[in-house]
Amino acid sequence: MNKIFALTKKELHSLFSSPVAYIILIVMLSLFNIFFFLSIEQNREVSLRDVFQLMEFMLVFFIPLLTMRLFSEEKSNGTMEFLLTAPLTHTMIVLGKYFSMLIFFTLLIGLTLSYYFIVEYFGEPDPSSILSGYLGIWLEGAFFIAVGLLASSWTANQIIAAMVSYLILFSLYFATSFTQYVSGPAEHFLIQLSTHTHLENFAIGIITPSDIVYYLAGILLCLVLTRLSIDNRLWH
Amino acid sequence: MVKQISKNFGSFQALDEVSFEMNKGDIVGLLGKNGAGKTTLMRILTSFITASSGMVAVDGDDMTKHSVKIRQKIGYLPEKPPLYGDMTVQYYLKFAAEIKSVPKNKRLSQLAKVLEECGLEQVRQKTIATLSKGYKQRVGIAQAIIHEPKLLILDEPTSGLDPMQIQQVLALIKSQRDQRTVLLSTHSLTEIEQVAQRVLLIKSGRIVLDDSLDRLLRNAGATQSQPLTLEQVFVNHHQPQPPVNQGSHASDE
Repeated sequence: MNKIFALTKKELHSLFSSPVAYIILIVMLSLFNIFFFLSIEQNREVSLRDVFQLMEFMLVFFIPLLTMRLFSEEKSNGTMEFLLTAPLTHTMIVLGKYFSMLIFFTLLIGLTLSYYFIVEYFGEPDPSSILSGYLGIWLEGAFFIAVGLLASSWTANQIIAAMVSYLILFSLYFATSFTQYVSGPAEHFLIQLSTHTHLENFAIGIITPSDIVYYLAGILLCLVLTRLSIDNRLWH
Repeated sequence: MVKQISKNFGSFQALDEVSFEMNKGDIVGLLGKNGAGKTTLMRILTSFITASSGMVAVDGDDMTKHSVKIRQKIGYLPEKPPLYGDMTVQYYLKFAAEIKSVPKNKRLSQLAKVLEECGLEQVRQKTIATLSKGYKQRVGIAQAIIHEPKLLILDEPTSGLDPMQIQQVLALIKSQRDQRTVLLSTHSLTEIEQVAQRVLLIKSGRIVLDDSLDRLLRNAGATQSQPLTLEQVFVNHHQPQPPVNQGSHASDE
């Protein structure tokens, strides 16, 4: 556990010792704030439902920028050899990197919690639906980070890692758009595959085991595949 | 112990049944031309890549079964020092100590020891990206020895350094003699002559020579009117073999 913590700390150190972390925080929070005020202005509702859905769309763009360097940079700098020849298991390396991004993402989402207090000042929001919405967006971000980590483990090129992440995340996000071309089980499969379907429930205050299992299974699958990618040195 | 290690990359055979043993306190020079298989062999010994066949054991532990345990006993400096440019020297070495299981109560003393041993005290607070190549190499060696490994593997540690820096790095390697076994690869034969007690010569993925440096030069010299240098031994092993005589009529055909 100490070694995972050391790796997490090292990743956060790298992130915050460059302007990248601050730029991402400032840009993302600015965009979230604009969406929040526009949504309140237009809907006149004491709800964050639309804000969560806009956040989801923004995460599709933002997470790959955050995760593309995780493994790709180590490979191009030659430091992957350092990590893989140190007395660390590959699972430790994967989890150390994953947790660092999860902490950064939690910080980003945590900084938007003020939205709840703002809508509460103007009306009487349903706290449970806002809390479930936050849980949903956090699970979705955690899933997207796992996808980005996986893509980064496949290549030494950060741009390729980002592009592959975009391809997977857009496919997941827009999966329901393809339902018009199929029917029956395939249609049902695409609806269930879409991240949008599952976040919608959280955003309106419904927490179902199937939605939670969707995100947790997605995270676990990506982390296991990342571990396998490292085991098999797939970037070579 | 390395026993009949082979490594194939597709149809290319990088290593062909390589076997040798190293004893405690040995400084072994691994010689060979570019592409002979030196780096592949070192990467297998550090479990960065796996062998296609054969066995590696350190202190009796099989690499395939106890990879993490063996990596704890090995310090490795790859050809390109694996450094994080955005970290200070001290932060990087602390990180290396943490992931290499140096006990918490020994980390600071161990850090101070390697900073002194590698002559890095003056630059401990400097960002690695701003250091000269010689200092970067020394930071690379410092991370390799911070956990007191029994076996130190150095892949071309003097590559690209100026003569002064080379002497400093060689002195540092020599100072490791009493503490650990060292496997060192380099293109410079004079460097091997300065630090190694034993030479392994690898050619096209096979070990073609494995002898102590003294005996190698003495024996080789005994057949000549004057003693040979390691460079001559190396060249002799890489000279094209004369064609096999096919008989007295061969040239006529």
